[in-house]
Amino acid sequence: MDLELEDLENTIQDDDDDNVQLTSAELIEMMEEVWVNEKFAPEILPHKQEVVDCVLGQISYMEKNLETLPSTDFKKGIHQLEVDRIRFLVASYLRHRLEKIETYVLHILKEEEQRGEREEELYLTEAEQQFAIKYKQDLEQHFENATNFYPGLPFEDWKSHIVAPNMNSFVFLKAKTAVEGVVIDPSRDDDEVADLTVGSQMILSYNSVTDLVKKGDVQLI
Amino acid sequence: MFCEKAHVLIKELSRNRDALPPYNTDLLNEINTEVKQLITQNQEDAQISEDSRVMNHASYLPTVKIRHAAIKRNIRCILAYHYNRLKCLRNMRWQFGSILPPDVKSNLSQSEIEWFSKYSSNLVQYMRSIGDEGINLAVDLKPPKSLYIEVRCLTDYGQFELNDGSVLLLKENSRHYLPRSECEELIRQGVLEHVV
Repeated sequence: MDLELEDLENTIQDDDDDNVQLTSAELIEMMEEVWVNEKFAPEILPHKQEVVDCVLGQISYMEKNLETLPSTDFKKGIHQLEVDRIRFLVASYLRHRLEKIETYVLHILKEEEQRGEREEELYLTEAEQQFAIKYKQDLEQHFENATNFYPGLPFEDWKSHIVAPNMNSFVFLKAKTAVEGVVIDPSRDDDEVADLTVGSQMILSYNSVTDLVKKGDVQLI
Repeated sequence: MFCEKAHVLIKELSRNRDALPPYNTDLLNEINTEVKQLITQNQEDAQISEDSRVMNHASYLPTVKIRHAAIKRNIRCILAYHYNRLKCLRNMRWQFGSILPPDVKSNLSQSEIEWFSKYSSNLVQYMRSIGDEGINLAVDLKPPKSLYIEVRCLTDYGQFELNDGSVLLLKENSRHYLPRSECEELIRQGVLEHVV
């Protein structure tokens, strides 16, 4: 994998001339990290649209370059496969997010609203937000169709039992920076803490490392 | 017994985990009638106990409460039935694309068909909005292992044009060596079979 990436860089020059200087290898690494985090976190994480957009730009750039290569070139196949792999990465990341949005639609929309009120950063991109709202409307419409045989039924009841992600589920993680005093199980009183050293791997309950994941201090694995 | 039919409905659901049996209109109608009956009975009893309270008689409150619980349970079961069917339908959207196979379609209710087309267009709209020209999330469902794969054709599909312009004829039992990205959709639709 690394070899191929290096190979890629020889043929494809970086097109990142933004203020953040990233080689494409670093960019892909970042994308991988984002993808793995999203895959293993029980709740939806803040969106990383910049990364996704960068990677997509990279993909179309690479594809354009590939077209100029003759199809007899042996390297073309390898590069094409690499492009496919990167595309899978992005697509899988976005699919995971969509799946979470669909499953926890009410929960997520409610949280987003609260975040908007507190003027915090939103977790969903604009497009995802639209998707979520429309999905919720369609679902409600369908439920109403199913229960409109008698007007005035207490069918709004289902909204009081919102499907929410299990924040207490356990995750495997790897510390990227040293963090001291991570409180394990904040609901208990005996204040058991854990210190994370760089590169250490742990299994912890997700809710005790939520902020660390979002800040990027730890990486889910 | 209350809610027995709703229970049958849920059992039907759990027997068909990943398949969509015909929409059970008859059973749902029966449950609806049961709910309606319960509501009417409740209203009558509530009326009586309202009147009788003045005369200091025993109230029907416990009966009414039990019936109310039964109504709620019935509705929960109905919603669970519908929700799980939608989930199944959603997976099919990812599997088959926006056009459902006719045998699945005949098993759906009108409302489900409407939901499906709405979901489909919602999804397409979302996929179009990603990046500059959009990205099709319904391909690349599995991590790519190799660029080309060997496939066997299961049906007489006819002509199939590849991205590079070459056309090949997909006949039953013929074997091809094709780019994975291009035949992935056909594999999911059951036209091709991946030969491992």
